[in-house]
Amino acid sequence: MLSEIAFYGALETGLIYGLVAFGIYISFRVLDFPDLTVDGSFPLGAAVAAMLIIAGWNPWIATGAAVLAGMAAGAVTALLNVKLNILNLLASILTMIALYSVNLRIMGRPNVALLTEETVLTPWYELDLAFHQVPVLLFVVVVFISLILLWRFMKSETGLAMRATGANPRMARAQGIATGGMIVLGVALSNGLVGLAGALFAQSQGAADVTMGVGVIVIGLASLIGGEALVTPSTVIRALIACVVGAIIYRLAIAFALNADVLGLQAQDLNLITAVLVTLAIVLPGVRNSVIGKLTRKKA
Amino acid sequence: MISASDLRLTFGKGTPLENPALRGMSLTVNQGEFVTVIGSNGAGKSTFLNALAGEVIVDTGQIIVDNQDVTRLPTHKRAARVARVFQDPLAGTCENLSIEENLALAIKRGQRRGLTSAVKKQYLGQFRESLSSLKLGLENRLGDKMGLLSGGQRQAVSLLMASLTPSSILLLDEHTAALDPKTAAFVLELTEKIIEEQKLTALMVTHSMKQALEVGTRTVMLHQGQVVFDIAGEDREGLEVKDLLGLFEKQRGLEVDDDSLLLG
Repeated sequence: MLSEIAFYGALETGLIYGLVAFGIYISFRVLDFPDLTVDGSFPLGAAVAAMLIIAGWNPWIATGAAVLAGMAAGAVTALLNVKLNILNLLASILTMIALYSVNLRIMGRPNVALLTEETVLTPWYELDLAFHQVPVLLFVVVVFISLILLWRFMKSETGLAMRATGANPRMARAQGIATGGMIVLGVALSNGLVGLAGALFAQSQGAADVTMGVGVIVIGLASLIGGEALVTPSTVIRALIACVVGAIIYRLAIAFALNADVLGLQAQDLNLITAVLVTLAIVLPGVRNSVIGKLTRKKA
Repeated sequence: MISASDLRLTFGKGTPLENPALRGMSLTVNQGEFVTVIGSNGAGKSTFLNALAGEVIVDTGQIIVDNQDVTRLPTHKRAARVARVFQDPLAGTCENLSIEENLALAIKRGQRRGLTSAVKKQYLGQFRESLSSLKLGLENRLGDKMGLLSGGQRQAVSLLMASLTPSSILLLDEHTAALDPKTAAFVLELTEKIIEEQKLTALMVTHSMKQALEVGTRTVMLHQGQVVFDIAGEDREGLEVKDLLGLFEKQRGLEVDDDSLLLG
């Protein structure tokens, strides 16, 4: 079984990937824009926050700067697509590749340690909580605030225009919505959230690393799809809750798989487990529906 | 008032598939007119409508809506003046948004959208009232997803959405063609009612010559990207489909003559 520390560790990373899943929900689901920029904007957020913290900035302001950096990266991807008519997937791959160089430039080396620096977590350690519980508490607050703000935004006039842009661009244009502008805003927002996740991850792990973004898109998608399988995303609020639930369940499943000695899995099997979990998350809802279908038919 | 003059547009210019869709198309629609547009396949009806809406930008020519030159403006910048209902009943609404959210999108057509709540309480009364005029019971289903509605119901709501805010012209692109005859009749009746009640200026493309003569105040026939005839008022009264066919045949004959003249 899971130790207490492994459990809280899974919650901690699960909450951070909940933010990533919010971002992926905006790009993949709301805008129907398959965006891989996140593999670059996650370490970008980490790099920007880490370097500014080392330079003596307030960690919250450094985190805010990481959000802006993520938004800028997203805007680049969207502009490549909207203004230069580059296929959305390809545009995001171009930005992602470019960000690898950018991140190395920002940090000046492949990784930067933050262990002795003051981070957004530092003041929270004075609370009467166990060491491994502190990040969970802070990230619950951050995820909750992000969820409420995103939910309100999606219900606003601009948010509704963004949802229409993804669902039916021709209709959106006929209603006077500048669909190109909506794509730029949405992809920027999405990567801003991923930049925030990267900044928080670096601060809780005590380091920023140029390779920390590898596979973020897959983990985010796994969280999104898994969450949607568990919480039917019939409304915006349910879809956002699904992101968080999916991300936490995913991290718990990974922690459980790695901790269960009977399975004989090791840390290097992580990507294989991820791929299997994503496949299951995609296939299982269909299986569930057909089983339910068969059962109800028998009754009838 | 809307005025299109000498619109020319060629698709696939410089390729073997070069297709001149509009060849000097001119039409002026006055305030309060309800023009029906007919023409065979490839006559340029849809292209003309798309050019007015901004979905395609013409090569040359000029489009004026209420004294403003909109020739080069994209769709979303014309939307405040140009309302539209599509042929495909699924195209005019968003199926994964609720009925009230679709109406909330339409009530802000062509206006700035901010960060205040999209579905405002003060709209709901107006939404219910307009929906109840459809007599489909939709006024009690504001929160339902649009995708739950039938094609006819969705087209009726599209029509309502197009008339929720004032426009200089309402474009109807064969909006009853994809519906079964009974539903098509209902939507057409609704169209006439809305246009009459709100004194809208409208342009309706149709495939049915009968429909083109029965509704509206003026009928225009397109052929090969041009207006070939334009009838209104007394000339149009009592005109039947066979008269229209006669006019059309006569016109086609002339076209053949033109070609033979060219070849000769």
